[in-house]
Amino acid sequence: MTAPAPAASGNMRPQTRWAAIRREATRALIAVVIALLATILIIFVTSKTPAEAFMTLLTAPFSKTRTIGLWVDDVAKLTVTGLAFSLVFQARQFALGVQGQLYIGALAASYVALSPIGQTWLGLPLGIVAAMIAGGIYGFFPGIAKARLGANEIVSTLMLNYIAVELCNYLVRVQLVAPGSGLLTTAKFPGTSLYPVLVANTRIDLGVILAIVAVLAVWFALYRSSWGLKLRLVGHNARFAEYAGIKANFIMVSAMTAAGALGGLLGSMFVQGQAFGNLTVLFEGGFAFEGVLIAIVARNRPLAVLVVALFYAYLRQGAQLMNIRTDVPAEVISVVAAIIILLVASSFNLPGKAFLARLFFGSARRGTIAAATGGAPK
Amino acid sequence: MNQLLATIFSAAFLATVIRTSTPLLLATLGGLIADLSGALNVALDGIMLIGCLSAVIASAYAPWYVGVLAGLGAGAVVGAIMAFFHLRMKADIIIVGFAIGALATGGTVFALSIATGGDKGTSINLPSKGIPAVDLSFLTAIPGIGPFLAGIFSGHSFLSWVAAFLVFAIWYFLYRTPWGLWLRGVGEYPAAPEAAGIPVGAVRAWSLVVSAALAGLGGAQLAMFNYIGFTANMTAGRGFIALGAVLLGARHPVGVLLAALLFGAFDGLTTVLPGLFDWIPPELIRMIPFVVTIVALVLFSIRAQRTLALRSGR
Repeated sequence: MTAPAPAASGNMRPQTRWAAIRREATRALIAVVIALLATILIIFVTSKTPAEAFMTLLTAPFSKTRTIGLWVDDVAKLTVTGLAFSLVFQARQFALGVQGQLYIGALAASYVALSPIGQTWLGLPLGIVAAMIAGGIYGFFPGIAKARLGANEIVSTLMLNYIAVELCNYLVRVQLVAPGSGLLTTAKFPGTSLYPVLVANTRIDLGVILAIVAVLAVWFALYRSSWGLKLRLVGHNARFAEYAGIKANFIMVSAMTAAGALGGLLGSMFVQGQAFGNLTVLFEGGFAFEGVLIAIVARNRPLAVLVVALFYAYLRQGAQLMNIRTDVPAEVISVVAAIIILLVASSFNLPGKAFLARLFFGSARRGTIAAATGGAPK
Repeated sequence: MNQLLATIFSAAFLATVIRTSTPLLLATLGGLIADLSGALNVALDGIMLIGCLSAVIASAYAPWYVGVLAGLGAGAVVGAIMAFFHLRMKADIIIVGFAIGALATGGTVFALSIATGGDKGTSINLPSKGIPAVDLSFLTAIPGIGPFLAGIFSGHSFLSWVAAFLVFAIWYFLYRTPWGLWLRGVGEYPAAPEAAGIPVGAVRAWSLVVSAALAGLGGAQLAMFNYIGFTANMTAGRGFIALGAVLLGARHPVGVLLAALLFGAFDGLTTVLPGLFDWIPPELIRMIPFVVTIVALVLFSIRAQRTLALRSGR
């Protein structure tokens, strides 16, 4: 894992890989610091015990083995959703279908786990594979609709999300739950279908390994295979890629299918993991969309996705604990998330820098400075 | 089946369609303005949600029209923020939209909790007001079809009429005023209006502000007429359906009106069907608007592609 992700090729100026990474990391760090300052402000305005609330946000996830387990589990899941969004975003497709693929994958895994196969050792691998295939198919449809018909992928994937949620509600109620029970939760899956635990008494399970494998696989596919090169070319300039003889449509559809498989995998990680171990309606609660933030902050680079997920999962868990222990609602985190996305996507500079430059070089050079500091990738 | 047809063509159902279409139409008009100016406003749903909450909170402490203006104003402010980040900070408009969406889903729940001292997800303890209905019961005086007309058109939200007027106003603005030409030009090929000395940045910024204000107005209608009060995620994807309606309406105000009415009709169907056919699972009925949006999107894309092929084949 020592090889860094190659730099974005969107920038015209020649630069070394490390300089680009340093620049991106600095931007992300500044965004996080500004967002945390905003959080402090919000907490101080809204809370009766602001100092305690903020300390809980920053330190609570690391306080117990159990909370560390929650954090690691969250990192694994955030990584996979971040990877799924990174794949499609790199191909310049704003497909938002991870939520739907997650539900479809979870349904497929549940059908395997609750069938007789689920009682054998095959339940675990078959559940994962079924989830990935189902998610892949669910990602393929909007992909082919976009490629063949030009149907807007944002709208189609979002609609498919809502459909998947309702489908899950329906199938759980009618088929998967014991009739007449009135519950909206399936029975616990047999142990042979569950992810094995890695650290006793925590949620740390096979999902963590799957997430790391997924990071490496996506990294390899994007940066060490010809498919990945073509995908990134299509993402930067689809028409140029076409002229270069790349089948942009095939790349687009395959990227959306692969991302769908990752979404399906995430569904399996949810229902077959130690956290749930069964299928409940609406179990996901909008989690999949956190991947949008992860992918944007990580600039769609798989290795960076893991790093961003580590930080963001920590913040999320801190917010949850702050919600329980103090009077600040956990939703404050979405305000933080929005600020981080906006700042990372902006080509901002520290205000002082421009002022100093103007002071030293005079206003005549302002144009040059603007040219040098503007033009962020993408 | 006959029963279904009788229901669909009844005055009560047509009135329901107008009611369910109004918030959608307002959001769709907002999406149209942004789309024509060259920016895909994926934040419509989030802005509607923010509009809902602002309208509910404002109307709890002030007359109803202040609530409506709060929804409109909150939308405009969000639009200005989007314009700032997109135009000044050079952020991708779609990513800005995602950020606003993230802000809206969690931020509204957070803000509601702060405003009400801990209520999570619903504004049940907030005495918010509704938009008064416009009474047109005098239409019954018309012989023959009078009662039918009154059944359809009487008792609608004040904003339904505003929305209908806005369809005309936006058409007039876009196709009969120089500023409308500017807006369409900026969306089509920004270099040309730029060369003609038209302030491209300002046109784009105002389009985003107006687009978001309309979505906010749609939110006000949703939370002050269709429902009274705020619940978390109460837009249920209407903002995204609106995006689809912009495409389906061929990016024209009248087309957009028809698309919004179509989606509104299927939305209305979801409220009618459970009473008629109790054997259809409610989950499948709730899927209808989303399935219809996808089908419409696909059909429209096929048609658009055929037009394109015809044009290039000539």
